[in-house]
Amino acid sequence: MKHVPTDDLLLFRSCLVSVEYPGVEASTKFVFDKLGVDYAISEKQTCCTGLGHYSDVFNQIDTTAIGARNFKIAKELNRPNLVMMCATCYAINKKSVKLLNKKDDLRNHINQLFDENGLSHLKYEKDDLKPTENIFHVVDILYAKKDEIKNHVKYDLSGYKIATHHGCHYCKVHYEDTIGGVRDPNIMDEIIEECGCSTIGWYDHKRTTCGTGFRQRYSNPDLSFTATADKMNAIDDEDVDILVHLCPNCHIQFDRYQHLIAQREGRNFRAIHLNIAQFIALAMGGDFDKVIGVKAHTVPVDSVIKDLKEVEK
Amino acid sequence: MTNQQKITDSPIDFAEKIINDVKNSKEDGVLKCVQCGMCTSTCPAARHSDYNPREIIERVLEGDISIIEDDNIWNCFYCYTCHSVCPVGNSVCEVNQILKQIAIENNVGYDKLYEYLGFADSYFTAAIGAIPERFFQDIDRDVPGWWEFRQNLEEIRKELDLNPPLMPSEEVIDEVSKILTITGFKQKIEKIRATEEAVK
Amino acid sequence: MRDDLKVGVFLCECGGNIADIVDLDKVKEELDVEFIGQFENLCSLNGRKLIRDAIFDYDLDRVVVAACSPISHEKTFQDYVKPLNPYLMDMANIREQCSWVHSDKEKATHKAITLINASIEKVKQSDAVDPIYCQTPDEVAVIGGGIAGMNAALSLAKQGTKVTLIEQSPSIGGHMAKIGKVFSPVKIAEECGMCLLNPILNELVWNENICVLTNTKVIEAERRAGTYNLILEKSPRYVDTERCIACGKCAEACEVEVPNDWNDNLSMRKAIYRPFGQSYPEAYVIDMENCSKCSNCVKACSMRAIKLRGKPERIPLQVGSIIVATGHKLFDMEKRPEYGYTRYDDVITQSELGRITGVNGPTKGKLLKSNGEVPKRVVMIQCVGSRDEKPDGHKYCSKICCTVALKNANIIKHKYPDTDVLICYTDVRTPGMFEKYYKHTQENEVRFLRGRPGEVVKKGDNYIVRTEDTLKGEFVEIEADMVVLSTAMEPSEGTEEIAEILNIGTTEDGFIKESHPKIKPVATDVQGIYVCGTAHEPKDITDSIMQATAAAAKVSEYNYGGVEIEPFIAEIDTDRCIVCGECIDRCKYKSMSVQNDQIYIDPMSCTGCGKCLIGCKQRAITVNGNIDEKIMSTINGVLSKKQDGQRMILVFLDHIGYTAADNIGVNRLSYPESIHIIKVISVNRVRPRHIKFALENGADGVFIGEFPGDLMYDEVERKIQRVKDRIAEMGENPERITFSKVYIPYFSGLARKFNEFDAKIAELDEE
Repeated sequence: MKHVPTDDLLLFRSCLVSVEYPGVEASTKFVFDKLGVDYAISEKQTCCTGLGHYSDVFNQIDTTAIGARNFKIAKELNRPNLVMMCATCYAINKKSVKLLNKKDDLRNHINQLFDENGLSHLKYEKDDLKPTENIFHVVDILYAKKDEIKNHVKYDLSGYKIATHHGCHYCKVHYEDTIGGVRDPNIMDEIIEECGCSTIGWYDHKRTTCGTGFRQRYSNPDLSFTATADKMNAIDDEDVDILVHLCPNCHIQFDRYQHLIAQREGRNFRAIHLNIAQFIALAMGGDFDKVIGVKAHTVPVDSVIKDLKEVEK
Repeated sequence: MTNQQKITDSPIDFAEKIINDVKNSKEDGVLKCVQCGMCTSTCPAARHSDYNPREIIERVLEGDISIIEDDNIWNCFYCYTCHSVCPVGNSVCEVNQILKQIAIENNVGYDKLYEYLGFADSYFTAAIGAIPERFFQDIDRDVPGWWEFRQNLEEIRKELDLNPPLMPSEEVIDEVSKILTITGFKQKIEKIRATEEAVK
Repeated sequence: MRDDLKVGVFLCECGGNIADIVDLDKVKEELDVEFIGQFENLCSLNGRKLIRDAIFDYDLDRVVVAACSPISHEKTFQDYVKPLNPYLMDMANIREQCSWVHSDKEKATHKAITLINASIEKVKQSDAVDPIYCQTPDEVAVIGGGIAGMNAALSLAKQGTKVTLIEQSPSIGGHMAKIGKVFSPVKIAEECGMCLLNPILNELVWNENICVLTNTKVIEAERRAGTYNLILEKSPRYVDTERCIACGKCAEACEVEVPNDWNDNLSMRKAIYRPFGQSYPEAYVIDMENCSKCSNCVKACSMRAIKLRGKPERIPLQVGSIIVATGHKLFDMEKRPEYGYTRYDDVITQSELGRITGVNGPTKGKLLKSNGEVPKRVVMIQCVGSRDEKPDGHKYCSKICCTVALKNANIIKHKYPDTDVLICYTDVRTPGMFEKYYKHTQENEVRFLRGRPGEVVKKGDNYIVRTEDTLKGEFVEIEADMVVLSTAMEPSEGTEEIAEILNIGTTEDGFIKESHPKIKPVATDVQGIYVCGTAHEPKDITDSIMQATAAAAKVSEYNYGGVEIEPFIAEIDTDRCIVCGECIDRCKYKSMSVQNDQIYIDPMSCTGCGKCLIGCKQRAITVNGNIDEKIMSTINGVLSKKQDGQRMILVFLDHIGYTAADNIGVNRLSYPESIHIIKVISVNRVRPRHIKFALENGADGVFIGEFPGDLMYDEVERKIQRVKDRIAEMGENPERITFSKVYIPYFSGLARKFNEFDAKIAELDEE
């Protein structure tokens, strides 16, 4: 497996985590602290442009120029290892690093624009960062530390039926670099097993999109929700209690719209939705309100997790 | 109907233009397509709409530039499933993104972007990408309790020991605005807005 | 000392071909040698007498024949100079490279004088050497006991060669033994594979020239001129094949049941077992990994053939050549989990379907699902792991899967006409006669859908195959109760191992690479090692057998013919050599190895290119034949005839380039008289000091040509660039040196390049 650093990390803030599921950030910090991961957050870092990028508003040069600025911030903090909470931030940043390293014309063009406009301090030198060695998702870090997870597990969640939804932009965009595969993605399944739980593994549509489709959710809701329904039906067929996510946008699609899609399908979907960091934080004893941030959830977390039993030591 | 190919036609030019786009990470992938249909077999948009990724490539290779005006291209989910399975190393998902940028260069599809200009605006005001406010009403209709939650966001964040939702410093906003101006982004956004608002 | 040598020059008129353009009288006047004679047709038998007499009469030490190209008649004149050593004769090519390419008599005559002078200077540096004669032992190791290895072994044995057939599994037979039916595109029928295999197997077993070693692997190999020393490891069988009568009482008594790998794990077998009914040796074997050592079998065996203790045995084997027939394995379906092979019982591979439909298989030939029912619809998915450049996939087409699918579809249709069979394909590849079988399959009502499925899932009792019907442009979900995957062929583990042990080259896909796909399709890049069957690349049974017999023919050529080698190869001074191994890494021909703590150079593969010389810090390597000095003297011999104001360009070409240059003359094209071609055994032997010397002593330009197919091409190209850089540093114009690709048929291009280079040098001279 590729080397994953657990030091000198810059935890990359995500717009959707910040305003939709802040508990994901709190849970990530909680778990990272327990596992002794060395990370920091920068106030200067801005969004990756992902939502605008995949709505076709931002073109590659806009996104990559913004990326170059964020990469510089990471370098200056001596935290060259970017860790993303959002699958789209991960895909966008990895692609920008690849392009900046590989496509000399693009890099020179962006650097020239910086030079001509008093932004020389943002210039990106070829191979400042490496796509495989410096760009990660939180699950990569958790995977690297997975052997230590069990030392911190407080609650036994093995009684729940658990399935995973691996965000497309984590698995598929840079598939050659995805831990746990892309055709039957299972990095989260492996991490969850370290909490003493097992997942249902493969299910129909396991690798299918959440259905957000960026513009589809807002401009083409029928298409969007029909695609989501494929997966929600499959998950309900398997009687799943907890669907574990790694991307806040998928999380929105499932948690916020489960009620609406249930109505459309004439079914009653009952799964709750937790980010992988929230799931582990919960297993490690994180407080519902102070760590997991359950108040941000539309499908009430306590509709499934009613009481917690401690693991037998 | 007979489709005539004139001796002067050069259908492959269209594919070449896509290959040369900076966004393309698949080198000559598009040229290697054998129309096997594995992309379509796994595509959520093909499953539920008239979008067909294999056909996108077929038309690109035919040099059919009218594809940029085809509404179907806007149905792609950008889920990259086609990109992750294509046996010849092509990426319809990337080709699709490039097609849309070509559309925009040709003043096509402005109406599709107009609704999403909020993603651009928030960069100039707050250096972040925020869901455009124009969708809030729909969200509130579809997601019970969402509006109330957003009103309480600061409090919830405080309970989680997180900073208030992040308004970066003026310096940061200025720097980001400047970047997005010098790349030509701002001008493009303003043009789209002006064009669309003139129509309306 | 060498200047005192008595040189005789023999001028050939070539029936006017030379004499009409070159003034031979003038040539005679200009040359100062012991003897000079002129003859009408030197290559005739008369010529032999003339040359021999002159050698005796004038006591000649060296001979120069000024005539046609050495490519035409070098062998002839090497013979005519007897009793002189053949390497003491040199040919000056005054026909193809003088009289046939020039029309100005005066200039052509001067050029002829120059070329002959160069030969005189060169031949003075020659020493008497003898060709190296290698005879390889007429014993062969065939590695791999599948259909390819068996046929290669049999063919050689019938020609009288001793063959050791080495098979790592307990029986020979390979994949063909378990394939069930094979089909004939001509007869349009499926036939029993075992019935075709068995006669070959029997013939092989009874042939006295073949020794079959099963449970045996090659673990070490060492090469010396024409001889391979192999170390084999034979794992214990625990059953004495001499005593065992294959009665099967032991298996009845055995209490351990494990999946039967010969049936693709679709049935069970005991820990003591016979791989299959016709397996050879005709004896049981114990799978010790699964044996519980209960001794029931030992008690049951009336022949006392079983011993539960045994150790691997090492066997040394010396052979002259090796045939690698280590075969393939099938794609690991865990790499494409979306097709559900590991999740669903009735998603199977074509190989498993072959076992299921085989009468000696787990269901005795009945097509049954895991629940015992006959499937209503079988969907076959093609190109699984083939034509797929995604991680773990293979870019190549596995070549046989289309026809295998057709065969299995027909077998199903013959027995179960009510079962619907649908083949999902991207392209149906049925070249040649196979196309008829494709049509036959369609007539059998097998259905075809053009599309590459994305996934297989289970819904209720059935599977759903999700695909696009690309001809309709429609996404479809096809219900099926059996799904068959046509999995890619990939190199077997044995193939990968043996490539490593024998140090033979492989392709990017891990198959054994042939030396040249057109002219040496069964040779590997190591002399004396040949390849056949699917170890080489995906192929069917017919092609495997053809390649096996071709490999056997090549081995015979090599074994019986012996090999005469020009002696101009590298030699090690063992006193200087510190066995650093630098030369081993540098040699592109894999000629060097360490044996008995010394560097050993295999005369059969060394080409004398001299690449090893440069890397040797100890200066412990020389290449026989004074080649450096010969090149230097030739250059000197040309340049010493330079006249005032004459432009002189030296052209260095090896055998291929030289042949191309001859072709210019043969086709009566022309190039400037300034062009002087010097033939070298390898362009790499032209050293920077040669070029420097030439430029400092009157050469106006240096042209170096190399065939891009030569293993040393890249090396030479880089070297010339370095020389140019150095020439530039010394204040000379690097434009005076040029490097060019040469091809035999593209002689007109070479003539054009000579003309262009001459014009360019003329321009430089004017400046």
